[in-house]
Amino acid sequence: MSQIAFLPIAPEIFLLAGAVLILMAAVTVNLGQRAWAIIAGLALTLSFAAAWVQWWRLDETGPQLHYLGDFGRTPMIVMDYFSAFGGGLVIAAGGIALLGGWRLVASLERRGAEYVALALLAVAGLHIMVVAANLVLIFIGLEIASLALYVIAGFTRDAPNSDEAATKYFLLGSFASALFIYGIALTYAATGSTSIYGVTGIIAFFSERILLDQGVLLIGIALMIVGLGFKVSAAPFHQWAPDVYQGAPGAAVPLMASGVKIAGFAALARVLTVAFDASIEDWAQVIGAVAALSVVVGTLLAIAQSDFKRMLAYSGVAHAGFMLTALVAGQDGIPSLWFYLGTYAFQLIGTFIIASIISGVGGGESPLDDYRGLAKRSPVLAGSLTLLMLAMGGIPLTAGFVGKVGVFSAAIDAGYLWLAIVGLVAAVAGLYFYLRLVVLAYFYDPVPEVADVPVAASRATRIALAVCVFSSFVFGVIPWPLLNLTGESLPL
Amino acid sequence: MDTALAHGLGFPVIALLVLLPAAGAVVVAMLPKGRDELMMPVATSISLLPLAVALYILWEFSVADGAAFQFTESVNWYEPWGIGWNVGIDGISLLLIVLTAVLFPISILASVSVQKDVKLYMASMLLLEAGLLGVFVALDLLVFFVFFEMTLIPMYLLIGIWGSENRVYAAVKFFLYTAFGSALLLAGIIALAVIHSTETGSLSFAFQDLERLALSSNAQLWLFLGFGAAFAIKVPLFPFHTWLPDAHTEAPTAGSVILAGVLLKLGTYGFVRFNLTLFPEATVRLAPWLAGLAVVGIIYGAAVAIVQPDVKRLVAYSSVSHLGFIVLGTFALTAQGLQGGVIQMVNHGLTTGALFLLVGMIYDRRHTRQISEYGGLASVMPLFAGIFLFMAFASIGLPGLNGFIGEFKILLGSYLAWPVLAILAASGVVLAAVYLLWAYERMFTGPVTNSANEGLTDLSAREIAILVPIAALVVFLGIYPKPALDRIEPAVDHIIERIESVTDYEAPQFGEIADLPAASGEAP
Repeated sequence: MSQIAFLPIAPEIFLLAGAVLILMAAVTVNLGQRAWAIIAGLALTLSFAAAWVQWWRLDETGPQLHYLGDFGRTPMIVMDYFSAFGGGLVIAAGGIALLGGWRLVASLERRGAEYVALALLAVAGLHIMVVAANLVLIFIGLEIASLALYVIAGFTRDAPNSDEAATKYFLLGSFASALFIYGIALTYAATGSTSIYGVTGIIAFFSERILLDQGVLLIGIALMIVGLGFKVSAAPFHQWAPDVYQGAPGAAVPLMASGVKIAGFAALARVLTVAFDASIEDWAQVIGAVAALSVVVGTLLAIAQSDFKRMLAYSGVAHAGFMLTALVAGQDGIPSLWFYLGTYAFQLIGTFIIASIISGVGGGESPLDDYRGLAKRSPVLAGSLTLLMLAMGGIPLTAGFVGKVGVFSAAIDAGYLWLAIVGLVAAVAGLYFYLRLVVLAYFYDPVPEVADVPVAASRATRIALAVCVFSSFVFGVIPWPLLNLTGESLPL
Repeated sequence: MDTALAHGLGFPVIALLVLLPAAGAVVVAMLPKGRDELMMPVATSISLLPLAVALYILWEFSVADGAAFQFTESVNWYEPWGIGWNVGIDGISLLLIVLTAVLFPISILASVSVQKDVKLYMASMLLLEAGLLGVFVALDLLVFFVFFEMTLIPMYLLIGIWGSENRVYAAVKFFLYTAFGSALLLAGIIALAVIHSTETGSLSFAFQDLERLALSSNAQLWLFLGFGAAFAIKVPLFPFHTWLPDAHTEAPTAGSVILAGVLLKLGTYGFVRFNLTLFPEATVRLAPWLAGLAVVGIIYGAAVAIVQPDVKRLVAYSSVSHLGFIVLGTFALTAQGLQGGVIQMVNHGLTTGALFLLVGMIYDRRHTRQISEYGGLASVMPLFAGIFLFMAFASIGLPGLNGFIGEFKILLGSYLAWPVLAILAASGVVLAAVYLLWAYERMFTGPVTNSANEGLTDLSAREIAILVPIAALVVFLGIYPKPALDRIEPAVDHIIERIESVTDYEAPQFGEIADLPAASGEAP
């Protein structure tokens, strides 16, 4: 028996241990939500620290593949800067999202423990997607995360739209998972390997011979793009997003929306730019088309919304398109993708936290009229909302601007000028609905029924929101620390 | 990080110039809540600091090296992307910086009628000043873009919060129109940097690096159109002008002053600084079209101004007409035309700014902008009427006042290039007399027809103090424009010489007119 390398799986170990501890504590001694908070906080902090140690160790050891047992020579986990950065990001986003939605835990009473445990499991699954070196392991991570999130979507089960959201999310999500694994099967049929790094070698080795069935491989790639496209809600695979974001418990949406996007893009980036790097000519066109469709469809539909959460869901489709724009450049686009993803995830968490403050921690509607005169009811919240909206719109001196410059530079550099122009024009049209919130918050008086209702947020929510707003601003003014970090975060 | 400070003092004056109002905005934002009476004195004093720096720069500026960038500062911001705090001032930006620094204290002092959220108002004004000054000093295209966009948000707030009835519509229209142009500008800037990287191996957004690129004529054409779209909307060039009347009319007085006085100049300045220098071949190719659009704008703007029942809208449309002159002078591609264009940017800022201030003062008294509501004001407010007439004459271009020298040079320069266009444009001067003097006649002459106007008070000491500096500059530039022209000339000649050296274009000279009587055929 060889030595087990614990470091690569340390984040998962901490997260799973945390989940198990919370569940056991909840059924044996009822320690209350304060104890769950301590355990979850500890688990997330330790796993984030583990990701940090992974990064730090990489400077000595260099990127490494970790294999399954003694007999198989199939790499399962890859330790590279891509894994360490993406892993850390997914854990940080999960932690902030959980913190921002902690009021939900308080309102669920004893069932809150299940919610926290499921959230930790989801983060563990998402982390696996980021670090996996094998297509099947990516699928396993995807399923761990998805199953946990399906349950979370329906967690407030007495609310009818929560049920609807969970059912929709489950049915469409499983369909996407099925397509994804079928794609893996076809890739295996074409190359004889499910390892991301094995596939690269085989394609490179066989590319001159006719042993490889090109058609089967292409269908496999296409199905994987569709499967992950569902998860990151790129058009035309986005229909579930608005209903789910609206129906699921408001305080749980930040986790669902940001975590899945980070891990989904990480998996997509690694699969496409590492395993199928040789066929970039084939898939870059498809990614470019999906990106263009996403920004246009997402923007147009977001303009038509009168509900804040649905608007954010459609704007999320457009943002998925912006991030795919970076991916047409292959590995050269990965730093830009990371920067965009890393900053957008926190903008998304912040805006959904605001939605959960205004519209409640449960699911349901969040009409834009609720934001009328927000500046009079809570200047701080209105200011935060404005900054997040400007960052999402990509106004200079916010992180959104630096992110957009990055993805469009990557696309233009790869010869996709048309895609950059489509994206830029859509980005401007998108300002319309981001600004609408600013208009409502500052230029109008509150609706009489809510004018005197104080806007209340717990300390945990305020801290999480502050982190999101702060990061959106700071990385817009001094982006280079993060740019240097993302510049190194390349896959092996 | 290497800091190259070309100027003797070894002190980053430009950084100071831009940071003072930005820091001032933060200071104002931190003043105690509810002390609204503090805001105006504090904001005014803060806005005097960049004015002092601008005057120092004006004093220290070396006229002999007017073509070169002076006071340059260069600090790397993010090396792999080739972005940096890369700034400098030449003869073209110098006067625009001084104009900006002069107009802001005046506009802030003119904002007494602002009662709601005074703190946010003053902070927005100072932030706007920082953005505008930043645009004029930036020599890094991405830094330029950041400042270019940074001006949008304060102006959007100024219109949207403190504007009149239809303010939200006007604010959103203003924002989306200009942001659409900016998107194409950003695409152009990134594409230019990427071309630099494919040719030299490193990304760069520095103006001095990009200037040296040898672009294909096709690339020049597309990049010119990308940059040009943003600037044409900002100017605004006909037919991209529809946001302007709404924005001007709905904006509060100070907003209109800054919008007309400085913000529109970002477009014409962008054309002069970037399009003419970076894409000389495309400039020569497209100049007749832009000059043609400019002339359409001159006549159209003037014609629409004549029939406006709303005096603020009238002044707004007069801006469309006047800005047409500046674009015409720029794309005449002659030294005279370009000089006239640059000096006219300053002149228009002063006279139209003053007209908006005057309209604001009468609006504060009567809360209406309809010309038909007034009549015979000269007998009630003689001083006001006198200054209004004076500024109207300056705007029309009466010799001896500042508008004359600019329009004269523009018409001279464009006559050399396209006589027919110049003759058509000259009709704009006549039309300006029609709309301004007719408006004056209806508002000020004759007996007082509306009893509401009988008790109006004439200008207060504060209002006179606001108008006197502008009037003094109007007279000074009208009688003795030489110091201003001396500073502009080398920079302008440098641009024309550069275009001549890299393309086969030759700027027409005076002597050639006699040889080429049929040159009128070139007009589009």
